[in-house]
Amino acid sequence: MMAKRKQRLVLRFPAETVNEPITYTLIKTYDVMINILNADISHGREGNLLVELSGKSESVDGAMSYLESKQVEISPVVKTILFSQAECIHCGGCTSVCFPGALRMDGVSRELRFTPELCVACELCIKACPLQLFELNFGVN
Amino acid sequence: MKKSYQEINEKIRQGKAVVLTAEEVAAMGKEHTPAEVAAKVDVVTTATFGPMCSSGMFINTGHADPPIRMERATLNGVPVFTGIAAVDLYIGATENHPENPSYGGAHIIEDLISGKDVLLEAHAKGTDCYPRRDVKTNINRDGLNEMIMFNPRNAYQNYAVAVNTTNRIKYTYMGSLLPRLGNANYSTSGELSPLLNDPEMRTIGMGTRIFLGGTTGYISWHGTQFRTDAELNEHGVPVSNAATLAVIGDASKMSPEFIKAAYFEKYGVSMFVGIGIPIPVLDEEMAARLMIRNEQITTRIIDYGVPEHPELGRTNYRALMSGEIVLNQKKIKTASLSSIFKARRIAGILKTQISEGSFTLTEPVEMFPKNKGLKPLVIR
Repeated sequence: MMAKRKQRLVLRFPAETVNEPITYTLIKTYDVMINILNADISHGREGNLLVELSGKSESVDGAMSYLESKQVEISPVVKTILFSQAECIHCGGCTSVCFPGALRMDGVSRELRFTPELCVACELCIKACPLQLFELNFGVN
Repeated sequence: MKKSYQEINEKIRQGKAVVLTAEEVAAMGKEHTPAEVAAKVDVVTTATFGPMCSSGMFINTGHADPPIRMERATLNGVPVFTGIAAVDLYIGATENHPENPSYGGAHIIEDLISGKDVLLEAHAKGTDCYPRRDVKTNINRDGLNEMIMFNPRNAYQNYAVAVNTTNRIKYTYMGSLLPRLGNANYSTSGELSPLLNDPEMRTIGMGTRIFLGGTTGYISWHGTQFRTDAELNEHGVPVSNAATLAVIGDASKMSPEFIKAAYFEKYGVSMFVGIGIPIPVLDEEMAARLMIRNEQITTRIIDYGVPEHPELGRTNYRALMSGEIVLNQKKIKTASLSSIFKARRIAGILKTQISEGSFTLTEPVEMFPKNKGLKPLVIR
């Protein structure tokens, strides 16, 4: 059985590659699955893409080499949502929009619990928090 | 067994009163009869900490030399109401900064309560008695004569659950509502909520001393949009928005822990207000009311996606607080906008104050209206 790999990465595209169909090539040529979790790309400027890359180990390696050949900066993701937890009032307004379950209420203490490892950076909590305690962070290793 | 306010207050003064929170008495109610609860418990503390738009604060800035009769004024750029005497201002909690929709009156109120400086800019035409035409200076809590929080509508007795059946996300005062019944948001502290524990308002009325924003406050009137004609469920609690409270208190003694500015995406600014109300266990009937549990409090599920806001179903607070309800055979994630954690803290503080004898109960000076409906705005 072939080894499979899944990696969450921030891809930083230099301005000259923004108009190239890089994700198409990755899928078509390297046979990797790409789940785009967040994108911030505008024509003629640099862009950021938060992706989950998965496939056979050598396919992922091939895809990464291709990205490097295109001068795409690859950074493994550490944390994507920053939460000012100390200021939280534990209303829980963010929990009903958090489908991976990274934000949930403790059924006994009624306190909000945040599990960053489950977060897919969908950003819905940013707008759902009435105290504006979440922010997106393209933070990397 | 009947107890008077005087008897209960005497027990409080002697440090002998038995005080429980509404959650504790709800749990006790599973194993005890109302008569037993009435015999054992003297006071039950209730609380809520939720976004309450109909809130604000009067301030008096003191007079400059020469004086100004402020006609237009802003605090940190947020317009405040000047249509009263020369240096009396009302900061409406939901008033927006014209260029920054996520900043508004509630933030000014929280800043002033926290003791921070806020920039006052005011203008006037100048009169013989108030010759000054412009003022620009920093103000803060210590320099103001008064900071009187007066909230015309707080502590709704019950509130609908908001969902969205359309294909687009809706940003509302009930938070982000995901398309196709993607989530359900509610905003009540359930069995801890003041007006759900005294649904007939036998003990809550004008003049009732309460916990407001971290200090002592008072109920000054029935709140706006107060109604007594809402449908009741089999436990005698209204299934929709019904009674409300107008409350007043000295904001210079309040704490930012219990007054919090909020912003709801694409809706605007609002303010979390912490309110706690002690309820005397006057008799068996009152005990029975106070024993109400989350599963006995019904509320309506309303579609906020369409303007008519149709009712799609009903649920109760036990289901809502479990994190999931079922509607149209679909499981829907639920979230509260009202903080149970903070409401518990308020109910706990009030319990301690009453147990220690520093907070006694007040009999209402006057009771609320018994028959009051709600009028729509007729466009004519």
